[in-house]
Amino acid sequence: MVDQLLSGPAALRRSPLAHLADAFAGADVTGPRGAALREVPFQTMVGLRAAPGSASATALGDVLGAPLPGRVGQTSVSGDHATLWLAPDEWLVVSGAEPEPLVGALAEALGQARGAVVDLSANRTVLELTGPAARAVLEKGCPADLHPRVFGTGSAIATTLGPVPLVLWRSGEECYRLLPRASFADYVARWLLDAMAELGLPEVS
Amino acid sequence: MSTTTTTKPLPEHPDWLWHNPDPKPSYDAIVVGGGGHGIATAYYLAKNHGLTNIAVLEKGWLAGGNMARNTTIIRSNYLLDESAAIYEFALKLWEQLPEELDYDFLFSQRGVLNLAHTLQDVREGTRRVNANKLNGVDADWLSADEVAKVCPIVNVSPDLRYPVLGGTFQPRAGIAKHDHVAWAFARACDRMGVDIIQNCEVTDFVKDGNRVVGVETNRGRILAGRVGLTAAGHSSVLAARAGFRLPVQSHPLQALVSELNEPVHPTVVMSNHVHVYVSQAHKGELVMGAGVDSYTGYGQRGSFHVIEHQMAAAVELFPIFARAHLLRTWGGIVDVSPDASPIIGATPVENLFVNCGWGTGGFKATPSAGWVMAHTMATGEPHPLNVPFTLERFVTGALIDEHGAAAVAH
Amino acid sequence: MLLIPCPHCGPRNETEFHYGGQAHVAYPDRPDLLSDDEWAEYLFFRDNPKGLFAERWVHGTGCRKWFNVVRDTVTYRIEAVYRLDQPRPELTATTGGAR
Repeated sequence: MVDQLLSGPAALRRSPLAHLADAFAGADVTGPRGAALREVPFQTMVGLRAAPGSASATALGDVLGAPLPGRVGQTSVSGDHATLWLAPDEWLVVSGAEPEPLVGALAEALGQARGAVVDLSANRTVLELTGPAARAVLEKGCPADLHPRVFGTGSAIATTLGPVPLVLWRSGEECYRLLPRASFADYVARWLLDAMAELGLPEVS
Repeated sequence: MSTTTTTKPLPEHPDWLWHNPDPKPSYDAIVVGGGGHGIATAYYLAKNHGLTNIAVLEKGWLAGGNMARNTTIIRSNYLLDESAAIYEFALKLWEQLPEELDYDFLFSQRGVLNLAHTLQDVREGTRRVNANKLNGVDADWLSADEVAKVCPIVNVSPDLRYPVLGGTFQPRAGIAKHDHVAWAFARACDRMGVDIIQNCEVTDFVKDGNRVVGVETNRGRILAGRVGLTAAGHSSVLAARAGFRLPVQSHPLQALVSELNEPVHPTVVMSNHVHVYVSQAHKGELVMGAGVDSYTGYGQRGSFHVIEHQMAAAVELFPIFARAHLLRTWGGIVDVSPDASPIIGATPVENLFVNCGWGTGGFKATPSAGWVMAHTMATGEPHPLNVPFTLERFVTGALIDEHGAAAVAH
Repeated sequence: MLLIPCPHCGPRNETEFHYGGQAHVAYPDRPDLLSDDEWAEYLFFRDNPKGLFAERWVHGTGCRKWFNVVRDTVTYRIEAVYRLDQPRPELTATTGGAR
């Protein structure tokens, strides 16, 4: 504890769902009807706004290593950085890299052009739901069409899960990342744990 | 053993409660819209003002609009003086009507509870109780324990997300059988010589300059000395045909009933915060409603998530309802005004009067709306009770904002 | 449940949207010059047709963009979707829905 106090802010930070780590571990279900839930804490998240197709949009893509996605559902991935389309002129960068120098480089790329580059890392947290039953769990409370023919791997949309708005990103074949606002994260996590509860029980046909 | 019949003859029962005449070429007055308010207006035109050469025109079947679709709550516990006056006048009329109309429409004064779930609710409730008392309206503030005594099936546990902190109680409030109310008024109208004309839709107005002198209908032209619009959700449609606009928007308002259950719910409960109002009707069905669908609509239907929310609210407040089954849902068309208060008075067209804007709360005012609308039509001037509710208030700014009282249905 | 075709995100449940009332009602250029009647007209009076209605919606839990819709208030069928800066489209009886 004293070591933490002496180490500085990075060691003191607590993610929004740290208190549920044990609950997540306890909810793991393996096998063909399995799913697992964990928090992916402390991701860097950057809010971008720019005129689509403009020089500044191109410059932002250059910093990220891939052009900004151009339509609903699309994402661009390059190295550590994933860029999710939120609106024609709005994107969310999610990255495992530290906020700097990324945010600075993006701000410089935007320059004086109309738009915004904002470090939104504290605004949301990331939940990762994996496993063969992941989609079934989500479909209990997400009104969007998550069938693979319209929501393939790499897709991301802003939608709702139960009453909570969040970004839903299919980051892998059986891997979904959910990005609710930090203040709703506890509710979303408990909602998911409740939705997963039946998976460990015998299936009723 | 006698061979004569030993069964008593059945009491004389008419084939019909009212006649179905063809429209006459003209009347002294026409009421457009044969719902509760329209029929009550005709009743009081005849009874209070001696105007019997009148007709009620209904485009569908009598009282088949919102009068058939409401959740039958009757109360007068509104905050503002002007509202309390007109709703309390209605309640006093309700108390006499079963005898006056000689028709038992099962008016049951079982009280109404408005629950408080937050500190703001408590402040609003206690303030409203005091305002009610000052206006001679029966009202009490109840603690959570007292709420539980009045209505044992309410969950007053402090562990809920929105625990019950108390509530207001109006003992004289209650419910009635809405269809029977309409038929009671209609029979009384018919007996006084009023023509009730169904399947008669007003398609246009006949004007002499800026003065209405009659209506065009799908059953021909009918002239009239004066015309009153009591068409609820269709008020704007008629106003547009008459050449003016009203500050109302027509929204779907849904309601539902459960299957029949043993009587478990002894009163009427309304919760603004845990958004639902519910009573249990005489034959055992739970009758529930809540808010309007957000978009404007004349479809007499809405979306199911609205029903799901009100059922979730009901199960939260009344755990015993968790096993109840939804039987039927439906919708009405409610004309919502900017201040959630009615609009009763003259229109920009001479001799054309309007009673509308009751939004989600028209049924409880059926008798007083009819009374004051009849007065307004008969004398050409608003009754003291509807002076504050004329169209002018939207220009003067003297709005009567009752979103607090009506806020459940939002 | 209305299925609303957001012009940016495609069709989504109405629960992702927020209703914005009548479209094409411009904020007065000089509200201070309006009479009480004119100001009341702007604040409170709106069309309320039984039939086709031009209205606004915002995709609140999606792209958060506002757009206009022409919807039939009787059938609830959406006949057209267009941008805020576009005029209301002319719709004939034979126009199909913009699904």
